[in-house]
Amino acid sequence: MIELRGVHKAFAGRPVLVDLDLRCDRGEVLFIIGTSGVGKSVTIKHLVGLLRVDAGEIWLDGRRIDALPERAFHAIRRRVAMVFQGATLFDSMTLAENVALPLRKHGRMRAAAALADARRRLDEVGLADFVDRYPAELSDGMRKRGAIARALTLDPEVVLFDEPTTGLDPINARRVDRLIRELADRRGVTAIVVSHDLASIFAIADRIAFLYQGGVRACGTPAEIRGSDDPVVQQFIQGRASGPMETPGF
Amino acid sequence: MIFRRSLTQLGGRVMAMARDVGGVFVLTMEVLRALIPPRLDGRETVRNLYKMGNRSVPIVVLTALFVGGLMVIQFAAFVKQFGARALVGWGTGYAVFREVGPILIGLMFSGRVGANNTAELATMTVTEQVDGLQALAIDPIRYLVVPRVVAMMIMLVALTVIGDAVALIGTMIMSYVVLDIHPYTVWYSLVDNLGPSDFLHGISKSLVFGAAIALSSCYFGLTVRGGAVGVGRAVNAAVVGAAVSICFLDFLMTYLTA
Ligand SMILES: Nc1ncnc2c1ncn2[C@@H]1O[C@H](COP(=O)(O)OP(=O)(O)OP(=O)(O)O)[C@@H](O)[C@H]1O
Ligand SMILES: [Mg+2]
Repeated sequence: MIELRGVHKAFAGRPVLVDLDLRCDRGEVLFIIGTSGVGKSVTIKHLVGLLRVDAGEIWLDGRRIDALPERAFHAIRRRVAMVFQGATLFDSMTLAENVALPLRKHGRMRAAAALADARRRLDEVGLADFVDRYPAELSDGMRKRGAIARALTLDPEVVLFDEPTTGLDPINARRVDRLIRELADRRGVTAIVVSHDLASIFAIADRIAFLYQGGVRACGTPAEIRGSDDPVVQQFIQGRASGPMETPGF
Repeated sequence: MIFRRSLTQLGGRVMAMARDVGGVFVLTMEVLRALIPPRLDGRETVRNLYKMGNRSVPIVVLTALFVGGLMVIQFAAFVKQFGARALVGWGTGYAVFREVGPILIGLMFSGRVGANNTAELATMTVTEQVDGLQALAIDPIRYLVVPRVVAMMIMLVALTVIGDAVALIGTMIMSYVVLDIHPYTVWYSLVDNLGPSDFLHGISKSLVFGAAIALSSCYFGLTVRGGAVGVGRAVNAAVVGAAVSICFLDFLMTYLTA
């Protein structure tokens, strides 16, 4: 249902994505893994038009979307939701108002009804006691869960999660895993999850794509990735500090 | 060598300025397009009106009071020399309504409200809250910019009306204190010599300045680059941009209606 073909993206002449190919089927939970700075967040931002490709194609449901004008992405963004790495709740609103905003704007709900619905949704992610707090008064993990609740308000067909369990305690992390799995199994939602969390990767992924040096180095089921004979992949999933992998910085 | 380098620098500055002017123009067009059909986010507009008006009134009142009085002190020598007591109301009213009021309150509004707005939008941009808004299929122009433009235009006009009235009071007080002119004399000098057009001339300036301040502050807020340092730069650029636009537009409007 989603396909990236030969995508190139550079920032100020520095290439980040180089000829990247990636496919994700409907109802699938696809994990994108890779070292910090490899371009995972950049990759998924392309799918909702927040970044534009330098070259290559992006297809959604048999329609090419990479060259669409900004306006056309409105309709796409209502179907493809995104949870940002940094949560990005709006500072000027309480948690409940944050979640109520898309309901009010798109669900044609009245303010009171939208707020009531927002409270219910926040209750589901365990934030019932914090609905009237401002984002600055919450912990990172709470903000992240709030952002997940907000992204799901429009009943999207596809959800892009950028590190949804980073900063969460193990219990809440596993709850988020369960939520993602249930979205896929019960509602047929397609989920693309960027993650470093090996526990959730091997627990709920249908397929895993390993990004390395601007492209997909390996892609397959968790079993296939585990059994990969690529030393770079092995180094990453075993978390060894030294090995064949070339990482920028160190 | 130095000459060449400064010429290159000058060229760069001119290019940057042209880009910003073009950017503000594009934003203006987008705002106008977003107003058809005129759908306005009520909550966001009201929130901004409140935030902008809330603590601006005392400052405007204070400044206007002093400006009104100050005009009288400047006039006093001439009034005494020529016995032009009947012209005090007219003179100060003319200057304040048409020129001093809109421009002074506009500049103050830009420094307080415009700068604040740039900082808010710039912070939202660098922390990806604006991207977050877009990802929710909410148009930042419609949701963030349009309510701010509308709110700033309304608020600046309101503050100018208040400022005009208070400046008049300041004039009356100082005329009485310094020149022993009765407030009635000032008042009749004003209403006999000034028409609604003088008042409206100032108000229409405020309307335009409000739009210019809003567009400048929103533009620099949304196009910020480079984290917290960038936010500081954006605020700086927005205030300078607004001040220059105010002076330029003031000149243009005065020239065209003279
Ligand atoms: N807006 C931007 N302007 C310039 N460079 C950018 C921009 N966004 C990302 N980059 C660069 O692209 C590269 C990939 O960034 P990205 O955020 O996708 O990393 P990531 O894989 O998500 O890493 P992490 O796991 O740390 O979140 C980085 O080197 C970053 O410097
Ligand atoms: Mg990232």
